[in-house]
Amino acid sequence: MSGPNGSPPPARGDGGAMLEVRDLGIRFGGLQALGGVSVDVNEWEIVGLIGPNGAGKTTFFNCVMGVYSPTSGTVRYRDTEITKLPTHRRTTLGLGRTFQNVGLAKRLTVMENMLIAQHTKAAYGVLAGVLGTPAVLAEEKLLRRNAMEILDFMGLADHRGEIVSSLPYGLQKLSEISAVLAGDPDFLLLDEPTSGMSPEEAHVFGDLLLRLRTDLNLTVLMIEHHVPLVVRVCDYVYVLNFGTLLAEGAPQQIQRHPEVVAAYLGEDADAAS
Amino acid sequence: MATPRKKKTPAGAPPVEANAAIAAIVAEEEAAAMAHVEVSKPKPWTPSKSGWIARRGVAVLIAAIVLGSPALVENVENLRAISLAMIYVIVGLSINILMGYAGQISLGHQAFVGVGAFTAALVVTKAQAPFFVALILAGVIGAVSAFLLGMVALRLKGLYLALITLAYGAVAEFTIFATPAITGGGAGVNAVRPSFLVSERTFVYFSMVVVAGALYIDWRLVRSKVGRAIFAIRENELAAASFGINVTSYKLIAFVISGIFAGVAGALFGFRVESVDAANFDFALGLTFVLMAVVGGLGSRVGVFIGSAFFAILDLLIHSLFGSGIGHTIAKVGFLKQLELYPGFIGAVLLLLTLTLYPGGIAQQIKPITGWLAGKRLKDHGHGVTIREGGAGVRP
Repeated sequence: MSGPNGSPPPARGDGGAMLEVRDLGIRFGGLQALGGVSVDVNEWEIVGLIGPNGAGKTTFFNCVMGVYSPTSGTVRYRDTEITKLPTHRRTTLGLGRTFQNVGLAKRLTVMENMLIAQHTKAAYGVLAGVLGTPAVLAEEKLLRRNAMEILDFMGLADHRGEIVSSLPYGLQKLSEISAVLAGDPDFLLLDEPTSGMSPEEAHVFGDLLLRLRTDLNLTVLMIEHHVPLVVRVCDYVYVLNFGTLLAEGAPQQIQRHPEVVAAYLGEDADAAS
Repeated sequence: MATPRKKKTPAGAPPVEANAAIAAIVAEEEAAAMAHVEVSKPKPWTPSKSGWIARRGVAVLIAAIVLGSPALVENVENLRAISLAMIYVIVGLSINILMGYAGQISLGHQAFVGVGAFTAALVVTKAQAPFFVALILAGVIGAVSAFLLGMVALRLKGLYLALITLAYGAVAEFTIFATPAITGGGAGVNAVRPSFLVSERTFVYFSMVVVAGALYIDWRLVRSKVGRAIFAIRENELAAASFGINVTSYKLIAFVISGIFAGVAGALFGFRVESVDAANFDFALGLTFVLMAVVGGLGSRVGVFIGSAFFAILDLLIHSLFGSGIGHTIAKVGFLKQLELYPGFIGAVLLLLTLTLYPGGIAQQIKPITGWLAGKRLKDHGHGVTIREGGAGVRP
């Protein structure tokens, strides 16, 4: 089975992956939200994480980013175990994450969010910051320039002074991705990046994603419902259902997987198709 | 039955409303669509050269009035009112960092101010240490006590945090401020000023210098990663953390900076009347502190400045108003005589007006002026839409 780019999907499970999640499990009271989930993402891959609502996809992201601490299993990033690391430390390692409902300070402007997102890039200390030393001012200028470069690249430069919540939803989503990119991540976790977009906009977003990977050397793990987009850009797909992995493989394989079709469309779906 | 009733409804009001709503939605969608199309936008309006001169002139005038006020005022009482205004401004900025920037709440801020006041008084009186040592130590102790409250705030939110801060102030009142070894019992502790600050007018100027310092730090805070991190935590803690912000540290940093301001303000509070009395730091004071910041406009430096200064001189204003003329006559009528009740009443009314009409406080109301000074047009900051943008949207 060949991948979307004509090459076979890279091997996984042999320990060389950039992000390596092993037997991840988390329990909220009596509910086993995730159980024994293992996911590998190799460098420079775009990997999809799909599944019906409530399957545990966002919970999985929260475990990878350290919002929740898993009850079992390990998360390794670039051969470092990060299972117990707080969220902000994972960011400094190069993980960047977007949220389902736009993870920005929505009452602030796009530019302000771009600066917030570069928190870890500003090297100056708290005391120097509040005293406003010349070094701080110079560094602030650099942060602004970097922000402008990214906004230009994303076509958002004209919106830099606007309050995020006043923008159309699609632009809010793009602003969030711009902000995350401003933090210079190596690995992006995107939570439903095309929600609220039309099929055409989702297609354009697919182009952007491929371009970002090439230009910025990014690796991506994304939760996505938009099947055409997943099939087009993903090198590999994991399917979650009721907190466990239902299937994994190249997107075309997954598309025809009878259990996946059943999980999405109901038990009789395979009979219908 | 339904059909005749429908015919009787006058002029079909609901359909018109519905049409208007649809039109509004369509207009919005069009605006959104327009936003996508990168048409060359009209250049933003900038004032002419004479416009800038007018703006600079007014700004200089305002600064001159504020800075020159001590020189224009004669008696000690009025000079002390101005120094109290300056001290309240520092407290207001302190509250603003917590409530405006960090989105936390503090109903026990009088405790920080009180702790700062007693620290400074004890340092100069008991330890015979220099004035500036007292000032710095007051800031340090204020920071430490705010840090302790911050540790609690890490675990509690909203109403529970409000209750804890309230309790914090109350407990301080009955423990620290009720310990004669610290407070000197009913007599209080002396806080004698150093020789260079003996003059009431010099003390006002010194307070102004401290205010300038606080304003500078506040300004730099907002424009550095420190302030931005604090804003980000207020808006969205999860997102802040995933932008690499250490939520715990920056929450505590907000408390510490706020505590430093409160402690230093407390020291000046004591030196202002050269004595510190535990009875001053009751809940009423803490409430005034919150009121002045909210009425001034949380999040706005200028608003908080005006609000705080206003509440500081409110007592004096009322007394001078009712001390003569018509006010004097009014004050003869029964309960109207009790001038000490007025500030609380006015504060409550202003709070109500702020919360219902102007959530942005004084800062929101003076937006046309501050905007004009910053190089915008006076009318660009009306309520809702300006005339240029579509007329009908203008509210009286």
